[in-house]
Amino acid sequence: MRERPRISRWLKPVQALALLYLLWEATAFAFPAWPSPRTVFGALMDDFRQPVFRAALAGSAWRMLVGYTLVILVGISGGLLLGRVPLIDQIIGSFAVAIHAIPGAAWVPLSIIWFGMTERAVIFTILLGASGIVMVSTDTGIREVPPLVARAARTLGARGTKYFWFVVVPSAIPKIVDGLRLAWAFGWRALMAGELLTSVSGLGQLLSQVAKAGQLDQLLAIMLLIASIGIAVDGLVFKRLEHAVRVRWGLA
Amino acid sequence: MRVELRHIFKSFPHNGSSLEVLHDINLTVAEGEFVCLVGPSGCGKSTIIHLVAGLERPTSGDILVGGRPVTGPDPSRTVVFQDAALFPWLNVLGNVEFGLRMAGLPPVRRRARALEYLKLVHLSRFTTAYPHQLSGGMKQRAAIARALALQPEILLLDEPFAALDAQTRAVLQNELMEIWELARPTILFVTHNVREATGLADRVYVISSRPGQIRDVQAIHVPRPRHAEDAALLAHQHKILELLGEEVEKVLQDELGERVHFPEAQHPVPPEQSRGMHS
Repeated sequence: MRERPRISRWLKPVQALALLYLLWEATAFAFPAWPSPRTVFGALMDDFRQPVFRAALAGSAWRMLVGYTLVILVGISGGLLLGRVPLIDQIIGSFAVAIHAIPGAAWVPLSIIWFGMTERAVIFTILLGASGIVMVSTDTGIREVPPLVARAARTLGARGTKYFWFVVVPSAIPKIVDGLRLAWAFGWRALMAGELLTSVSGLGQLLSQVAKAGQLDQLLAIMLLIASIGIAVDGLVFKRLEHAVRVRWGLA
Repeated sequence: MRVELRHIFKSFPHNGSSLEVLHDINLTVAEGEFVCLVGPSGCGKSTIIHLVAGLERPTSGDILVGGRPVTGPDPSRTVVFQDAALFPWLNVLGNVEFGLRMAGLPPVRRRARALEYLKLVHLSRFTTAYPHQLSGGMKQRAAIARALALQPEILLLDEPFAALDAQTRAVLQNELMEIWELARPTILFVTHNVREATGLADRVYVISSRPGQIRDVQAIHVPRPRHAEDAALLAHQHKILELLGEEVEKVLQDELGERVHFPEAQHPVPPEQSRGMHS
């Protein structure tokens, strides 16, 4: 009895993947110009043997790491300031929402003007593309302290700065984590856009190179890799983090 | 410390007009006394707790604690809420330490104090558990330890056992009694459960609803530990239920499981007979 739910949990995604694979094989069989799964996976395997490719992958990972760290720092501290200081909220509150409304890719031209075709421009694109959502969700989180929690804290002597750091901030954590998860997806997209449009070596730039060379199997291989990394990090890190937080905060 | 409410009126804005929830409430709790407020749901009992806690202001009237007006919350008046209201991001120990931390107690001392009170409520083995891992009864134990750890002059309890099953409730009532006899804080305890009120309190204020008004005060001169079937207690319960009049139906519906005991309250055993039976 205990095994059955576990099997069915895995069965559906496996079935879906199998179906997708079959469709792909069928279309590749019908249209010879369209590379078959085997060709694409083969190309991907070949890529991993190339030092240039590995360097590009490492470069992308490094820029994402730096960019996302900045997103966390700027997003959370910005959100805390917005929620805590009414003056800042009035001055730049709507500005933050406006930044949040601009897609990451749309920041690339401005980043290039400011930083040139450099790695910095790409990191700046990630920062602007993803920190807005963290700011907005942090701001929302610290404004929504559950009334019962607020009352209990006040009767126990919490006020002022201590109330903020020991009650308001921890009760905002589920919202902040929601924002961080979205920011990962936004940041990953901004990274690809930044690398595509600048000449900084990375997965995004490889994409434009193979497209220019008309290497369809390579193009699909790299796109597959980009999607897989995005999904894997979301599933292995953020989904788990979000679930753990929701359970502890009594929301799941 | 003595608690005194003088001519308390409280209204809330409601659909453009104002809704009166408390009407001329006058009540006192003597130093070290255990007082229960009993009344049907929605009679403003919880509002009285919030007023004494300093979480809300009355529309008019005075609230005096130790002779001084209440201006806001203070760690000398702590509250146990109906659904515990523990901080979900802190474990049991962290929750009990919270008030002490706010008070600026050094870590070693607050840990020692918190553990002392966790022992008192029999939660020593669950110090590292998080609220979502606790049963309702254990959450209330933690909430009681958290409120007691600040060594308050006044302990305010807002239907603390209402959401618990009958057995857990009875156990916690006994333990609360033991704790009160040990430290003798002044207690104001709100409940809609008539049996609970008469079982615990020195005096019971009977409150009717819409707007909340004091209908009567009953002094319960029954020595502790009290027996549930004590004739004098049953007589008090009967009197209170009678006072609540047409609101009885509502009270009983809230208590569902206790309804079977109602006929006993209607025909209390004469006090003489009861003494012979239980002592």
